[in-house]
Amino acid sequence: MKFWLLILLLPGVVLARDDPWDDDAWDDDWGEDEAAFVWSGFLEAGLGSRFSADDRIDNRNTLEDLRARVETEWAPDDYSLTLKADVGYDGIEDEWFGDFRDLSLKFRLGDNTDVSFGRQVHTWGTGDLVFLNDLFPKDFVSFFAGRDDEYLKAPANTLRITRYSSAVNVDFVWTPIFEPDVYLTGERFSFWSPLAGEIVAPDPPLRAVDPDEKLGNGEYAVRLFRTIKGSEYAIYGYRGFTKQPGALTDDLWPTFARLTAAGASVRRPLGPGLVNSEFSYHDADDDQWRFLAGYEWEAKTNFSVGLQYYLESGPDEDRHVLTNRLTYRAGMDKYTWSLFTFWSPDDADYYLRPQFTYRHSDRWSMTAGGNLFGGNDDYTFFGQLQDGSNAYLRVRFNY
Amino acid sequence: MRKLILVSAALALAPAVHAGAMTDAGAIVERANLAAYYSGADGRSDVRMVITDGQGRQQRRQFTVLRRDVEDLADQQFLVVFSQPSDVRGTVFLVYKHVDRDDDRWLYLPGLDLVKRISAGDKRTSFVGAHYFYEDVSGRSHTEDAHELLETTETRYVLRHTPLDPASVEFGSYVTWIDRATFLPMKIEYTNPAGDVYRRVEVLEVQDIGGIPTVTTSRVSDLLTGGKTDMQFRFIKYDVGLEEQVFTERSLRTPPREWLKRPTE
Repeated sequence: MKFWLLILLLPGVVLARDDPWDDDAWDDDWGEDEAAFVWSGFLEAGLGSRFSADDRIDNRNTLEDLRARVETEWAPDDYSLTLKADVGYDGIEDEWFGDFRDLSLKFRLGDNTDVSFGRQVHTWGTGDLVFLNDLFPKDFVSFFAGRDDEYLKAPANTLRITRYSSAVNVDFVWTPIFEPDVYLTGERFSFWSPLAGEIVAPDPPLRAVDPDEKLGNGEYAVRLFRTIKGSEYAIYGYRGFTKQPGALTDDLWPTFARLTAAGASVRRPLGPGLVNSEFSYHDADDDQWRFLAGYEWEAKTNFSVGLQYYLESGPDEDRHVLTNRLTYRAGMDKYTWSLFTFWSPDDADYYLRPQFTYRHSDRWSMTAGGNLFGGNDDYTFFGQLQDGSNAYLRVRFNY
Repeated sequence: MRKLILVSAALALAPAVHAGAMTDAGAIVERANLAAYYSGADGRSDVRMVITDGQGRQQRRQFTVLRRDVEDLADQQFLVVFSQPSDVRGTVFLVYKHVDRDDDRWLYLPGLDLVKRISAGDKRTSFVGAHYFYEDVSGRSHTEDAHELLETTETRYVLRHTPLDPASVEFGSYVTWIDRATFLPMKIEYTNPAGDVYRRVEVLEVQDIGGIPTVTTSRVSDLLTGGKTDMQFRFIKYDVGLEEQVFTERSLRTPPREWLKRPTE
């Protein structure tokens, strides 16, 4: 109920604000003075709901978000301080939230080294919504619930040092305190429990046992990368823990297994498009090879197609996944239609992500979409989420 | 009398010849490309656009462009850093323009810390939602069209350009009015295959920047919908000494503030 009251307040907040871009087409104001703070961000309301009820979960909705984003940067001279904060109300969890997407200090060390320290998001690797060597935390709950794609990448408290040189660039990220994925807990989506042998939504929600907070339990990620004549090569290494709680403690609580990973990738133009390939070896309780090959091209004007083949090969079974991304832009980029498809032929499960975005103006935009899960078996990755299939609508006001 | 008519007809058909005028259409196009896209060895500019659709609704874009020429009339590197509107603030484009193959393009999305590589696409599609095309911004290779000098006036060369591969473009031909003194194309009109002018690019203001005549205001009009985009350039400076290292992944994640700063003089 509280959620709906807040929704009703939103237009009032927005309309009360004058539009500084409504002035004459040309004035002599070219925007910010370099020394000053520039504040920007957005207000957003999002609502998502299941196609049919999940008997294990009381709330039929998957998304009831009201969110305000505040962003600014302070860059006095040789260093900069970035702030991106979200505050809002989550109707599903029935609580107010506040999080820093980014609160980091960036500076240069000599001519060739960049340092970034604080709470921040990191991404590397060549996969499109498929991750082999990118072992930075992901928020799958936000992703499945219909929040903006940005929220798939969860922030973590890290130190990043990047050294650039003509021979090879070196990227190093240290996460002193292990930051897992935002995994399925049974609060918003039910999930397959191997112990129970069925789909469950425990109350209180699942809380896996984190590794002890000590120096040796941090995460270390490294990437060596170089671009040669338009071809991008990278080698990756990781030492930490699996990002999903797939292991069990001695008293049978879910926890995170030790993980060491290494891999490599290449991305380059080929024919009319881009080809990418990546592999990774994950040394955890169960060793696993991951392999990816992809191709993306503009098939017609404003219509692009991306295809990926992805393999996870473990000691007991292989999982093959084919993905397909179709994107069509129209009306001078005001309208964007997209469809992302995951399909595993051997697990017989799938996940469809249709999405439509309408950018009405520099101020207002609207996104409608769906998350459709299915599969023959409850224990498959997407099959377990069948009762979570949902459609959502988000309206955003940028300021 | 009959002779006179013939002479008049011949005069009307022949391009008027002016003292010192160039007559080779290909050479004029090369000079125009140099003047419009290759000023100095490198350069920086702040750019803003007002996009007005057929219903009069407006959008804005503001960004800084850094450019480095690998070679005149050949490869170039661009870094485009967006500051407005707020939903694209912090987005950075890196483009390696090639004349003998497809351009290399990368896009940095700060929300995801994602360096996204963009496949080669149709260059005659909207640049960031404006009526300008990618090709208007980075230049159309002079080898893609056949050039014909239609007329030489006191101040302009008037040329018609016909695509060698008509299927690759939406226009049938286009006519440019090139300033004889600066070689800047002052007006371009695109004709569709049916023979109607449907798109116009025009220069509204030229300023002298360090001795180089430079377009500082231009407009593209969509004559079918009534939409238009106005583009303004400010804080322009040439030959600032941009090095190759500025145009790398480093600048996507950490835009080079020393080069983005507006020049003070």
